Amino acid sequence: MHHAVISCLHANLAAFEAVLEDIDRQGIERITCLGDLVGYGPQPNEVVELIRHRAIPTCQGCWDEDIIDGLNACECSYPSQLAERRGHRAHQWTDEQLSQDNKDFLATLPTSLRRGRQLFVHGSPNSQHEYLLPDMDAFAALERVETAGADTLFCGHTHQPYVRELRDGSIRVRVQSSDSSQSAEQELKLPVRRIVNAGSVGEPRHGSTKATYVIHDEDNGSVEIKEVSYDVERTCRAIVDAGLPEVFAWRLSHGFEYAERAEDASHVCER
Amino acid sequence: MERWALASGLKGDLEIYEQIQRDLKRQRGVETFFVLGDLIGPGQNCGDLLNRLRNPLRGDLIPQCIYGWWEDQLLAETGFRGDRKAEALRLNQGEDVVEALLKAVDSSHRQWLASLQFGFIELDCGLIHGSSADVSDELTPESSPLILLDRLTRLDVNRLFTARCGKQFRLELTGGEIDSHVKDLEGQHDQQQVVPKRTIIGIGAGTAYTLYDPGSDHISFLTAGSTSVSKRLGFG
Repeated sequence: MHHAVISCLHANLAAFEAVLEDIDRQGIERITCLGDLVGYGPQPNEVVELIRHRAIPTCQGCWDEDIIDGLNACECSYPSQLAERRGHRAHQWTDEQLSQDNKDFLATLPTSLRRGRQLFVHGSPNSQHEYLLPDMDAFAALERVETAGADTLFCGHTHQPYVRELRDGSIRVRVQSSDSSQSAEQELKLPVRRIVNAGSVGEPRHGSTKATYVIHDEDNGSVEIKEVSYDVERTCRAIVDAGLPEVFAWRLSHGFEYAERAEDASHVCER
Repeated sequence: MERWALASGLKGDLEIYEQIQRDLKRQRGVETFFVLGDLIGPGQNCGDLLNRLRNPLRGDLIPQCIYGWWEDQLLAETGFRGDRKAEALRLNQGEDVVEALLKAVDSSHRQWLASLQFGFIELDCGLIHGSSADVSDELTPESSPLILLDRLTRLDVNRLFTARCGKQFRLELTGGEIDSHVKDLEGQHDQQQVVPKRTIIGIGAGTAYTLYDPGSDHISFLTAGSTSVSKRLGFG
């Protein structure tokens, strides 16, 4: 059975509709969403309502969490004070626009979903704000999957889709304790684990303006990364019309190289 | 090069602290003294020890303290940790122990305890009560090496000194590797990463303390008050 995983919709209705159409055309019935339904984009209510209408199992993203709990990330989430101000402006605008009913819905979203040995989260099992980038330390990446009790971890948040398999791992240790002058050497064989990042539907940052998501074949385990064209102009116009910072439209229409990104993406906000 | 002394788990016991200070006076080259938390506990009034830590006597090696699990619980219960309360303590040991802890530490010490840091980074060493993940994190020789490596990686240090489990041990990551295969929209590529040579050191608690020589990487596990700085195991 095929299973589509989507993430980081960011209130971009045109992109979401195009991705749903692509999924539907392939006859895929199971969809899982990894959160960030809102933020940056101009149609937060429409996107949340479409998720609800389609009854898509969804976990809570960092933007969804912040809209419910108030801004709780530190300035480290942004690469500059200017970017932070724009982010706060988007937060304020989204907070004003989103209906109470849709806020209540976001508040009910779980931070993770589990299906057997598959775990679905927004950022990492530790935090909705932690970035699992494709080149992060391989042992740390494996630790995130293994400690969460999963074989495959599906995540988003980075807006860069990838599939990373961690295999043939081992760690050798030598232990000396105070009650023994002997030291014992041991080797731990590490399990094979996989991280699948679904990219972003509503704010791609992978070098193209196309929306991305992944299709997981649950029978043979293969994962296909999909790119979908959508009406970028329509979303950009809506961003400008809504009075949101125009840079959000500009970067959507240009792609990754103009997107703002925290310098230390591995940082986990501890505020 | 100067040596470091590391102790923890004094839990209000001034006598143990004085034993350690006496031992350290007989050690050569020990110039820095770290106390990695659990200065307080519910078992006795902690006032005398806290006063001594805050106002060292002439001749004392000046203690550099961080907070530990017991301080974190006290500070949570008394409003220094936002909405959080001492739930871990309450759950594990009951309301009576929460009350005993509150009685054991005079409120005049709370602000000072709240000013203590989570840990120190000295040279390429991390000095923390639990781990880089949490003050309650208990690292032992039996912990998964994957978790130990993660805690070292989070701090980007080569040695992590921990106190939470109360044991004295030295665990070295001596080797290993992992392969990583990444597929994205630009194609596929493989990477191999090797385990960096790094070490976790459990410093002990109470009378069990540790000396460390950063110049030689030599560690001595000691017990205060034993005959002539006795129970001693050195690892070079």
